[in-house]
Amino acid sequence: MKFPWGDGEKRKKELNEEIASHLQMAARDREARGESPAQANEAARREMGNASVVQDVTHDQWAWTWLEDLLQDLRYGARSLRKNPGFTMIAVLTLALGIGANTAIFSLVNGVLLRPLPYAQPERLVGTTQYYPKGPLVVMRQQSHTMELVGVSDNKEFNLTGTGDPVRLIGNSVSADFFSMLGAQPAMGRTFHDGEDQPDKDRVVILSRALWEERFNADPNIVGKWITLEGEGREIVGVMPADFRFPSPKTELWVPLHLDPRNTGDYWGDSYMALIGRLRPGATLQQARAELKTMRPLVLAAYAWRMPTNSFVDSSVVSLEEAIVGDARGKLLILLGAVSLLLLIACANVANLLLARATTREREVAVRVALGASRWRILRQLITESVLLSLLGGALGLGVAFSGLSILKAALPPDTPRLADVALDGQVLGFTALLAILTGVIFGLVPALGASKVDMTATLKSGGQRSATGGNHRASKLLVVGEVAVSMILVIAAGLLVKSLWILSGTSPGFRPERVVTARITPNESFCEVPGRCLAFYNELLERMRALPGVRDVAAVNGLPLGGGAEIFPIVVEGQPTPEGAKVPMFWEKIITPDYLSIMNIPLLRGRGFSEADAAPEAQAVVIVSKSTAEHFWPGKGAVGEHIRAKWEPNVWRTVVGVVGDVREYNIRSDSASWIDGVMYAPYGPHAIRGSGADAPPAEMTLVIETADEQVQIAEELKNTVASLNHDVPVSQISPLKSWVAEAMAEPRSTSALFAVFAGLALLLGAVGIYGVISYSVAQRTREIGIRMALGARRKEVLLLVVGQGAKLALAGVAIGIAGGLMLTRLMSGLLYGVHATDPATFAAVAVLLMFVALAACFIPARRAMRVDPMVALRYE
Amino acid sequence: MKQRYQNRIELLQGTLDLLVLQTLRWGAQHGYGIALAIRANSGDILQVDTGSLYPALHRLERRKLIAAEWKTSENNQRVRVYRLSAAGKKKLASERSRWAQISQAIAGILGPAGEGSEA
Repeated sequence: MKFPWGDGEKRKKELNEEIASHLQMAARDREARGESPAQANEAARREMGNASVVQDVTHDQWAWTWLEDLLQDLRYGARSLRKNPGFTMIAVLTLALGIGANTAIFSLVNGVLLRPLPYAQPERLVGTTQYYPKGPLVVMRQQSHTMELVGVSDNKEFNLTGTGDPVRLIGNSVSADFFSMLGAQPAMGRTFHDGEDQPDKDRVVILSRALWEERFNADPNIVGKWITLEGEGREIVGVMPADFRFPSPKTELWVPLHLDPRNTGDYWGDSYMALIGRLRPGATLQQARAELKTMRPLVLAAYAWRMPTNSFVDSSVVSLEEAIVGDARGKLLILLGAVSLLLLIACANVANLLLARATTREREVAVRVALGASRWRILRQLITESVLLSLLGGALGLGVAFSGLSILKAALPPDTPRLADVALDGQVLGFTALLAILTGVIFGLVPALGASKVDMTATLKSGGQRSATGGNHRASKLLVVGEVAVSMILVIAAGLLVKSLWILSGTSPGFRPERVVTARITPNESFCEVPGRCLAFYNELLERMRALPGVRDVAAVNGLPLGGGAEIFPIVVEGQPTPEGAKVPMFWEKIITPDYLSIMNIPLLRGRGFSEADAAPEAQAVVIVSKSTAEHFWPGKGAVGEHIRAKWEPNVWRTVVGVVGDVREYNIRSDSASWIDGVMYAPYGPHAIRGSGADAPPAEMTLVIETADEQVQIAEELKNTVASLNHDVPVSQISPLKSWVAEAMAEPRSTSALFAVFAGLALLLGAVGIYGVISYSVAQRTREIGIRMALGARRKEVLLLVVGQGAKLALAGVAIGIAGGLMLTRLMSGLLYGVHATDPATFAAVAVLLMFVALAACFIPARRAMRVDPMVALRYE
Repeated sequence: MKQRYQNRIELLQGTLDLLVLQTLRWGAQHGYGIALAIRANSGDILQVDTGSLYPALHRLERRKLIAAEWKTSENNQRVRVYRLSAAGKKKLASERSRWAQISQAIAGILGPAGEGSEA
């Protein structure tokens, strides 16, 4: 290594001269003592040795010393790590786990929460926290001075017919200026023109790149061609690039909103959608929020009917990122917190290993101090070593992160926002490197400070006997207590989640999922506009299905429970007028054929179920309500015989004829969304109420087919039967009801699985930590134990002595862990179900588990202590 | 002669620095002179290896503990002369007390053993 310090050549020449003059003087002195000139020269040279080596070595003193010191430290560190392969392996693996898990979760957090949205000036993009129908959107677009607002519907399904087999595509209705507001450019063709969201101008569609490639063979001349969506012709005007994934990665096509004020139900009552926008130049988020409040009365005044005065009162404007990520933020941050705790445990463990080693290295350090090494130099050496260790751990951790991330992405529910954007990238690599170095400095500092303070005289004086410096040992005990406490918190968190999952999987969703196969039957919406056509189609389909072998019974519903969908509308309960300003009750309506309740095993509690006669046009309009709906609106009266109507149909009262058990309609945790006040069932037919205000029953239905046993395969027969009735009707999502239920459990399951993994690692690392400290202390106390045994202590007493020492540490850790858990688990109460964040049973069980693991970890060194031979122990010292 | 050979001690790095600084306390000196002085003052026991001396001198110069300049000797020869800097004086004081500690410590270890073997 030669980094000449300035004028290197000149220095070399001078050095040459200096050595030469040394030789001359030495030779002259020898001559003066009587040697011949030749002898004297020869002897002086021999004495000097290899002059050029001397010059080289001397010249090297001028090299760039800090770098040289660093390299020397690194070489030294590498050598000392190689000398202790066991220590190095455990430390590197521990760190790899800690750093790897953190990197994986950080990638996720980075991709979902931190990375800016891939649109022009993403920091100016905003969204409202509540959904609005089309009418309010149009009003606010006209009024707002702070925002350029557009509407984006949730994912909807569209039948594509006329190009091969009929297929079901996922698309979104958007305002005409949706693309230009985001600043997104098409890959081909154009985006929508202004005004294309008006009736009669909206026969256009834009395709996603994936759809264009898969369904249209990447046809370069696709723009300008017409396709049939939901029975309507639409012109393809553009194709978006592959990285445009808004509002969801599933989106295959975009159509303009259909803004038709004449369709009052749809325009004002249904069609709730997300509003997003861009702040106008100079406007701030605060101004936009304030403006949203001032626009609210104008929006309500524009309604054709009187809206409750508190409608939309909770809506606010947030950054678009926040609007997209929503609930996922809390969960991700909790995960990030959990893995940081894991890293903390890993650090504590490695610090402990280093501490233990530092004590055995005291003499090495003392010798180096004696040889003139400064304290700073030794500190730097020790920290270099720990950073080297953590960099190794970080490199391995990247591998852990890489595989961890792919497992994570597969395990997380696919509807996690922005999951497709998540990857290990430069930013994440930087994070890992920083984490590794920081980790190294942090866990290296304590032991290094301790070691560099070594009292040289005392250490050298004490000769062969190791002096367990009290400070180091106290530090390592503290580390173990902290480690146990942090493990405790993680294991409690995992315990609470696992208990939630267990309770969840034990609770009945309100229906029986066994031996039921479901399938989506999706004629075009216009199919039902001919009165009676849809009813006849489904009656015929159900009739033919019942005749199939293995099929016991079959029924249809407009959406499966657990978030499969329902009609939504405001209702009026007879005799219970909504007070001025109060919220109008919102109902979910499940539209069913008569056998649905019996196939799903939803119990009829009072009154009667539906029959074929209820679907007749001349029949009286009847409904069935769920148990909790009945109790909420007609407490103690039983509900049967009461009347309700849709808000916009003043004269069509519907009679409640039955009450059935509650069903998990919303998701696996709750029967209905917080803003829904009741669940009712209506017979499939002309009397079904449509949220959109349409007269016809819904075209899209889900079949529930009860089979003789789980093995019955009916997919082919089902498709053939549907095709024999109508070639243009797609059949999709044929799957057992059980897997639909399992899918609903996926999100809580993946969260608890992640936490269980973290907790398992924490437990393992905690056990290793306790084991390390106790075995170290046993090694230190061999002599003391020997003396005790020589004085008559029994083996059992020695065992208790050692285990007791570990138990004390573990107890302290558990106590602190419980206190920490009480404070921290509250943060995750949103993820829990059926169990309180401070559930005493979980806390107690985890405390017992941790104590058990800790004692088991102490047991191995304790047995070693028990076997100490007093004679050997005493002589050894 | 045998005894002489055994007494040729490999000087430890920190120790040589200390000896150089101590030697320069009596006045500026060139490398050869320093080597001679150390040998003479140790009763010929410590022979400074040239291969260690010059690196040590340049290392000390680099750390500004000593300063060097070219002079002409009484034999009319150009020599590089070193003298102690202020920082060097301070360092010398601290190194001396450290050395006292070490030798005390080592004596403490060796003391009883040495008596034992003599007895």
